[in-house]
Amino acid sequence: MPDSTPTPDPRRFEVSRATLWFDRLMGWLIRFGGIGVIVAVFGIFYFVGKEVLPLFREANVEPAGEVSGEAAPRVLGMDEWAELPFFYAGGNEVVFSNVATGERSVLPVPGLDEVEITAVSHDPVKQRIALGTADGRIGSFIVNYERKFEDGREPWVAPSITAEPWFALENGSGPVTALGYGDSGSGRVIVAKRGEGPSSTVSVLRLAMKKGLIGKGKLTLAGETDITGQLDSEARIVRASQNGAMVLVATRSGEIDYFLASSDGVTKRQSFAPFENTTPARMDFLFGGVSIIVIAPDGRQEQWSLFRREGEGERLFGMTKQFPTLPQGDLHFAASQRNRSFLTTAGRFLTIRHSTSGVVRWEGEADIDPAAVALDAKGEHFLVAAADGTARKFSIHDPHPEAGWRAFFGKVWYEGGPGPVHQWQSTGGSDDFEPKLSMMPLIFGSLKGTAYALLFSIPVALLAAVFSAAFLPHSVKRVVKPAMEIMSSLPSVVLGFLAGLWLAPILETRVPSVILMIAAVPLSALLLGYIWCRLPIVFRNRFEGGSEWMIVLPFLALAGWLGWALGPVIESWLFVYKDPSTGREIADFRLWWPQATGIPFEQRNSLVLGFMMGFAVIPVIFTIAEDSLSNVPKPLTAAAAALGANRWQVVWTIMLPVAAAGIFSALMIGFGRAVGETMIMVMATGNTPITEWNLFSGMRTLSANIAVELPEAPVGSTHYRALFLGAVVLFAMTFVMNTIAELLRQRLRERNKIV
Amino acid sequence: MPDSAPAPRPDFIRVENFSFHYGGSQALFNIDMAIPERRVTALIGPSGCGKSTLLRNMNRMNDLIDGVRHEGDIRLNGASLYDPSVEVISLRKRVGMVFQKYNPFAKSIYENVVFSLRVAGRSRKKELDETVERSLKAAALWDEVKDRLHESAFGLSGGQQQRLCIARAIANQPEILLMDEPCAALDPLATLKIEQLITKLSETYTIVIVTHNMEQATRCSHRTAFLYMGRLIEYGETVQIFEKPSHPETEAYITGRFS
Repeated sequence: MPDSTPTPDPRRFEVSRATLWFDRLMGWLIRFGGIGVIVAVFGIFYFVGKEVLPLFREANVEPAGEVSGEAAPRVLGMDEWAELPFFYAGGNEVVFSNVATGERSVLPVPGLDEVEITAVSHDPVKQRIALGTADGRIGSFIVNYERKFEDGREPWVAPSITAEPWFALENGSGPVTALGYGDSGSGRVIVAKRGEGPSSTVSVLRLAMKKGLIGKGKLTLAGETDITGQLDSEARIVRASQNGAMVLVATRSGEIDYFLASSDGVTKRQSFAPFENTTPARMDFLFGGVSIIVIAPDGRQEQWSLFRREGEGERLFGMTKQFPTLPQGDLHFAASQRNRSFLTTAGRFLTIRHSTSGVVRWEGEADIDPAAVALDAKGEHFLVAAADGTARKFSIHDPHPEAGWRAFFGKVWYEGGPGPVHQWQSTGGSDDFEPKLSMMPLIFGSLKGTAYALLFSIPVALLAAVFSAAFLPHSVKRVVKPAMEIMSSLPSVVLGFLAGLWLAPILETRVPSVILMIAAVPLSALLLGYIWCRLPIVFRNRFEGGSEWMIVLPFLALAGWLGWALGPVIESWLFVYKDPSTGREIADFRLWWPQATGIPFEQRNSLVLGFMMGFAVIPVIFTIAEDSLSNVPKPLTAAAAALGANRWQVVWTIMLPVAAAGIFSALMIGFGRAVGETMIMVMATGNTPITEWNLFSGMRTLSANIAVELPEAPVGSTHYRALFLGAVVLFAMTFVMNTIAELLRQRLRERNKIV
Repeated sequence: MPDSAPAPRPDFIRVENFSFHYGGSQALFNIDMAIPERRVTALIGPSGCGKSTLLRNMNRMNDLIDGVRHEGDIRLNGASLYDPSVEVISLRKRVGMVFQKYNPFAKSIYENVVFSLRVAGRSRKKELDETVERSLKAAALWDEVKDRLHESAFGLSGGQQQRLCIARAIANQPEILLMDEPCAALDPLATLKIEQLITKLSETYTIVIVTHNMEQATRCSHRTAFLYMGRLIEYGETVQIFEKPSHPETEAYITGRFS
């Protein structure tokens, strides 16, 4: 064209600056975002790991100073801050030595002049030192520590001594040779041995605190019981539990006699012999007062606890744990006042052990021969003192002694239980509660919840997906599919709320109806299908392919309604509970089930969960499975149809194999949704961490456990970290499952690959 | 089998005043034609002229699409395809179909061939083995695959896969074989083989083939129908259509003036 020959623009091949800038900007933005995601994921791993790893660390014990007190200490004690230990050698004064400055101070004990002390016992919780005298009197005094603050000075600890009244033993004669002291607050129990050899006697002294209207109560003698006659031989060690309820006497024959002390008197409950015919070298109560640690002269160390055996009404002592044998040497023992750790020394060998999981937390050596040991109230320091009065202080860093692989995943014999169990009970009503931190009931709960959720969801979701992809006319599918997808966006807290407060009470009373419906609807569908096939082709051809459901639907609804309505009839016929006491018969499935099967029926159960989880899981599985079925190449289904396959044969022989990988993904995503689901689990399952597959009981899942307990777990505590461990376990479970699933999916895909 | 049957019936398939609608748009307008038995009938015409639609109505494959509607009738050996007493599944067993893109199933060669027998519930090993051999021989594929019958069908070349699809379609011994551009995805050599096969198969089967390829229509069909804009413009002996077309549109199309 001659009129307008454009001169070629030399820049016509160049990219515009704006395009280049935009390209570069977006490149950096995407890089930044991608790296940010990776960093965030690793950040989460780092944070969770930081919370969880300390659970698996060993105790760290370091020397923390030396101090010199009184020679031949019979009692060694320490204040809460481990600054000012005291030494008591059985005289009329207590020596305090400052660890930091080495400064010594002496406080006299009032009323101890010209008294010969023959027996001493020490309660480190109240810092009470009980004394027995040569003339058969029993007294006590308390070492008080007070933290003082003053301007311009470091806070310091000021000790003082409070003497308590004396009581004289009536039974027996001679000096008090062994002493045990327990204080419940409202009363005290003292067990005392007088004399030595076969003629020695053992008495239990009960003191009652008479409360006055104003001020402190007055301590009065409530009774003295001679228990010598109930022992098989001479007493060697006498102990009273800290709460003053129990008295234990170890005799020369190796037997331990267990007495219960109450306001009515002292009754013998049990005799047991931990080491056959050998008297234990030591016998001491653990924190909580329901377990004792006994040590044989040959170094065997065992824990005996009170528990109720099968078929017995009373809690009695039985051996629950054996610890590694101690080396030979002079034995000393101190129990923690915080948890079930205890310090034992055997000669120069020092060890800290924990009773819950029966593990050794730490072992070490002292450079002196301990004559007395003391643990501070926080369990952060201990002191060993030699006979010459020199002492070594150690600091203990062991924040999570109750944790460990055994505690989380192994069976543990907890105090009070009849045998080793997997149990989760992280907190209790009292300070001396023994935490039970097994992950197993929670893992079980997660698996059970997931299994029941999937048991209800998978058949419905997959059949629905097949129906929608291969049978339903397009016009209906266009409505059904988005509706199902909207279902998945229902907040799970709403579902959980509905499940717990609306569905559970309804299902509770209509279990037979539900079972009947679950059976009636699919069976009637099969029956209708059979009848449909028998109908003449002329009739069937009147309905466009895929719209048969419109005829079937009323019949299915009728079957459902019949199931629902006939439930109570079936109940009154099959599920009749007979009251064992009155003989009355009640048609109630809730009562019948526990009687017939021996397993409980709970309102918040797996049936409710299965139903409600269906709302969360079905849409997920349905959507993805439906997509992968719909994406099966049309030429394949058309070819199969052209070869005379009916719709079901097209699905079964062509669509399902090709879509298998996608359907498998759908199931895995459904699994992931179910295993991580929290709110429905919290609200609909009752949250009891039990391990049984019973359909009519609840469970506690790892996720629900975290949601329920994390707000109450102190930051940094074992409980707090154990909840994080639960999260790690949950992650590991889904990770392993997903990895296996991905590998299987790859293989499925490889096998049914379409060129 | 119609091997020893008497003279082929000239109106084995009768399309009678047949119109077809996809939703709101009409694809076929009042088609009338008679397709003879054991002959190859080619349907030609530009894209979108309705030739595939007509073909797919002969085994009611278009039923699988939503919102379709038809008027008129197609009769197979005198019986209407749209009679209320017709079971579509058994109809499709009488009318085999080969598609434009070869589409073997993700199964072994053997299982591909016997698919129609399996879905019909026939599973006697001897019968299946015989069918495989007969069908693959008829599809001129037996010698190439007889040693790897149980390997995946995807291991075959494109032409072999299409012949496998033909073997699959004739395994159940249908009366009619519909072919929807069977060579569109194949190279010339493979196309040649398929065309030879079609000629051979026409001794046994009534074949209706849709093709874009004029040479193919001339090479292997006895009769040719030219469709344009949903209407049957011209229908007659292939030689006559290509040498002396009576309609100007036919001539324009076969001489390549539009396509």
